[in-house]
Amino acid sequence: MEQLMIEVKNMCKNFGPTKALHNVDVKFYRGQIRGLVGENGSGKSTITSIIAGMQKATSGEIFYKGEPWNPGSMVEAQKAGISMVLQEANTISNCTIAENIFAGRFDEFSKFGFVNMKKVNEEAQRILDSFNISHIKALDNINQYGFEERKLVEIVRCVSEDTDVFVVDETTTALSLEGRQLLYKLIHRLKDQGKSVIFISHDMDEILEQCTHLTVLRDGEIIGHLDRNEMDMPNAEQVIRYMMVGREIGDSYYREDYDSSHSEKVALELKNVSLGAIKDFSLTLHEGEIIGFGGLSGCGMHEIGRIAFGLEKPEQGTVERNGQKITGCHEAIRSGIGYISKNRDMEALILEGSIQDNITLPSKTELSKATFISPLKEKKMADKEIEAFRIKCGDGKQWVNTLSGGNKQKVSFAKWTAKGSDVIIMDCPTRGVDIGVKQFMYELINEMKKQGKAIILISEEMSELIGMADKIIVMKDFLITKEFMRNKDLSETDMIEYMI
Amino acid sequence: MFSTGFLKKHVYDLAAYAGLIATFILFLVFSGDKLTYNMTTVIQAGAVYAVIALGAVFVYSMGYMDVSVGQQVGVYAILIILITNRMGGTLAGVIISFLVILAIAMVCGAFNGAVAVWLKLPSIVTSLFLMFFFTGAQLLLMESTGTNSISIQATIKPADRNTYNLVLVAAIVIVTLAVTYFFRFSKLGKYTKGIGANEIATAQSGINTLKWKVVAYMAFGICVAIGTFIMLMRTGSAGKGTGSGYAMDIMICLILGGMPLSGGMKSKVSSALIGTFTYVLLSNDLATMGVSLNMINFVKAVIFIGIIFVTCRKKDNVLPR
Repeated sequence: MEQLMIEVKNMCKNFGPTKALHNVDVKFYRGQIRGLVGENGSGKSTITSIIAGMQKATSGEIFYKGEPWNPGSMVEAQKAGISMVLQEANTISNCTIAENIFAGRFDEFSKFGFVNMKKVNEEAQRILDSFNISHIKALDNINQYGFEERKLVEIVRCVSEDTDVFVVDETTTALSLEGRQLLYKLIHRLKDQGKSVIFISHDMDEILEQCTHLTVLRDGEIIGHLDRNEMDMPNAEQVIRYMMVGREIGDSYYREDYDSSHSEKVALELKNVSLGAIKDFSLTLHEGEIIGFGGLSGCGMHEIGRIAFGLEKPEQGTVERNGQKITGCHEAIRSGIGYISKNRDMEALILEGSIQDNITLPSKTELSKATFISPLKEKKMADKEIEAFRIKCGDGKQWVNTLSGGNKQKVSFAKWTAKGSDVIIMDCPTRGVDIGVKQFMYELINEMKKQGKAIILISEEMSELIGMADKIIVMKDFLITKEFMRNKDLSETDMIEYMI
Repeated sequence: MFSTGFLKKHVYDLAAYAGLIATFILFLVFSGDKLTYNMTTVIQAGAVYAVIALGAVFVYSMGYMDVSVGQQVGVYAILIILITNRMGGTLAGVIISFLVILAIAMVCGAFNGAVAVWLKLPSIVTSLFLMFFFTGAQLLLMESTGTNSISIQATIKPADRNTYNLVLVAAIVIVTLAVTYFFRFSKLGKYTKGIGANEIATAQSGINTLKWKVVAYMAFGICVAIGTFIMLMRTGSAGKGTGSGYAMDIMICLILGGMPLSGGMKSKVSSALIGTFTYVLLSNDLATMGVSLNMINFVKAVIFIGIIFVTCRKKDNVLPR
C-alpha cells in the first residue's frame, strides 16, 4: 500500500488577475518520483514553491504526513524535511563551498560561540566525496566555479538524511550529462529509501526515463495523471504533449529544410581572437546564416558568445561588424548585435521591472525625440512584441518576476526583435522552456534566418544544433575540434566523439 | 474598496500618503491662529529640502546615496556670499556666484559618479571623500574671513513675504516639473531606475551606465546648487555649521516619502515631495506641541529606525550601495 506523503487539496493561487493555479488536487506518495510537466506558466513551479514555503496559496489546503501544512518559509520547510533545488543559481557568492553547504547550520559545529571551521570543511569535503564530486573542493571560493558546479553544491546542500521530500525544479538544464547522471542516481536512491521526489523538467526523454509517475498541468489546472505503465506506451510522448498543449505537436519542430545557403555578406567577424584559454579563434558569420556552437559545459563556447558581444575584451585579435571594431557591448548593440544571455535572471532581465520596461530598454534611443520618450510609443512597442511572442500576461505593466520561465525568455528575445537587431547571439535560448515555447522560438529563429538575420546559436542540446544550424562548430577545451555543415544524416553520435 | 493585492502592492505609497495626511491634520490642529505663520515656515523650510530631495531622486533610484550634501551646501553658501560681496553685492555678482557654485556642484557630481565606477568603489565612499573635502574647505573658507559667520551684502530675498513665498512655491513647482520630466519621460530616469533594478542587465541592454551615473549625479548637483541659493535667500548668512545634517535629513525625507533605498523601478519623484513635507510638518507639529529640540531629534530618530526596520525586512528594500 502506497503511503501518502503530501496531499494538495483544492489549491488556488492568484497573481493579481492572473490565475496561476485553479482548484488543484494532487497527491505525492513515498517511494515515488512524480514528474510535473506542463507548458511554462502551467503552474508546476507554483505548486512546488507553495509546498516548499516560498509563497502562500490563495486558497486550498496541503497535508504533509497527514497533518495540515502551511510553511512560513523555505527554512521552515527544509527543517521539516522538504528541500527544493531551483532552476536559477541560489548559492552565496564570495563564500567557500563549505560555507555554502552549511549556511545556516553552523550551530552544529559550534562550541561556546566558536565555529570549528576545520570540522566544517572536513565534513563538507566528506559530503562532496560521497556525492562523487570530489573535484569540487570544500575550501575553494564558490566564485571560482561555474554554473553547473554551483548547482551541484546546491543539491548537496539541500539533501540530507532528514530530507523526506526532494523537489527538483528544472535543475537539469544547468547540468551536463555527468551532473545529470549524478542527480538521477540521487533521486532514485531517495525513492528507494521511501522518500518522495517531485521532478519538474521540460526534457521529455528525461521525464519518461526517470519518473515513476507523472502529473500533467495546463493553465493552472491538473489535466491528468499517468502511471509507469501508461508512460511506457509507445505513443506516451505524443499523448503527454497533447495533454500539455491542448493541440497536436508534431515530432519535429526544427527546420525541415537542409538548405544551408546564406548571403555572402559578412555580418560579424572574429579575427584571431585570444582570451584566456581561447587562442587565435576566428569566425565569419554571414547574413542569413545560423552558426551553432556545441560542446560540454566549460568547452569555451559561452565565452565565444560573450567575446562576440563585446562583454569580454579579447587580449588579442578583434571583433568586427561592417568594418567597425566592437570594443564593448554598447558598440555591439549600436551596430545591430543582440545577445540573449544564458544567465537570464541575472544578466538579461530586470526582474523587478515591467515587461514593457524590459522590452523597450535597449530601444530608448529610437523611442526618444528631443529627450522625450513617449509612454504611448513605449506601450505600442511592448504590446506589439507581447502579441507577437504570445507572452502570457495581464498587460505590459506586469512585472517580469511574476512570469514563468518560458515567458521570461520570450521577453529577453523580444528586447532584440523590438530593437531590430540584425545579428543575434543566443546562449542556450531554449534552456528551461517547454516544447510549446521551444517550437515557437525555433519558428522565430527560422524566420529570422529567412529575413537575413545572422545568428550564433550556442547550445548544450545537440538535437537543437542539428535541427537549426547551418554550420555546427564543436568545441572541446577551448578549441574547435570539428565543424559540421547542415546535413540530414548528421547525428548526435557524430558530434559526441568530438566533444568528449 | 481596495483589494488585498492592491494594498500589498502599494503599502509603502499608502503609508507615505497616510503619514503626510496625519502630520498635516496635526499641523492644522496645533497651529490654531498661527496657521498662516506656520504655513510660511513650512514652505520656507520645505523648499530647500524639497529641491535637494528632488535631485536626490536620480541618485537614490540607482540605489546610491551622497553623504556630502550638507558640507556641499555649506561651502556653496559661503562661496556665494564671498563672491557676491567681492563684486560689490551687485546682481551680476549674485548671478556669477551662482553660476560658479553650479559649475562646482556639477563637477563634484561627475566626480562622485565617475570615480566610483572607475575605481569600482561604492558611491558612498567617494561621497565620504567629498564630505571630508568640503568639511575642510568650509573651515578654511571661514577661517579666511576671520569670523564665525558672514552675511551677503545683496538683496536676494523679496521684501514682501507673500512674494517671497510665491517665489519659493514657484521654485518647487519648476524643479518638480523638470525632475518629473527627466525622471519619467527621458532616458535619464529610465536608465537610473534600470541601474538600480539590475545594473548588469541594464549595461547588457546597451546602456553606458558610467555615463548615466555621472549625468544623474550632475543633475543632483544642479538641485543642490539651487537648494543652496534658496536656503541663502532665507538665512542671508553662512558659517562653519551651515548645511550640517542635510544629508541625513534628505535621506529621511526620501524614506518617509516611500523611496526604496535599493532604488529600482519603484522609485518615484513624489517620494521627495511627500517625504519632505511630512518631515517638515512633523518637525513643525512637534515644535508647536511644545516638544523640546532634543526630543524632536529623538522622535525623528525613532521614526527613522522604525521605517528602516520595516523596509529592510523586504529583500528589495535594503540600504543603498
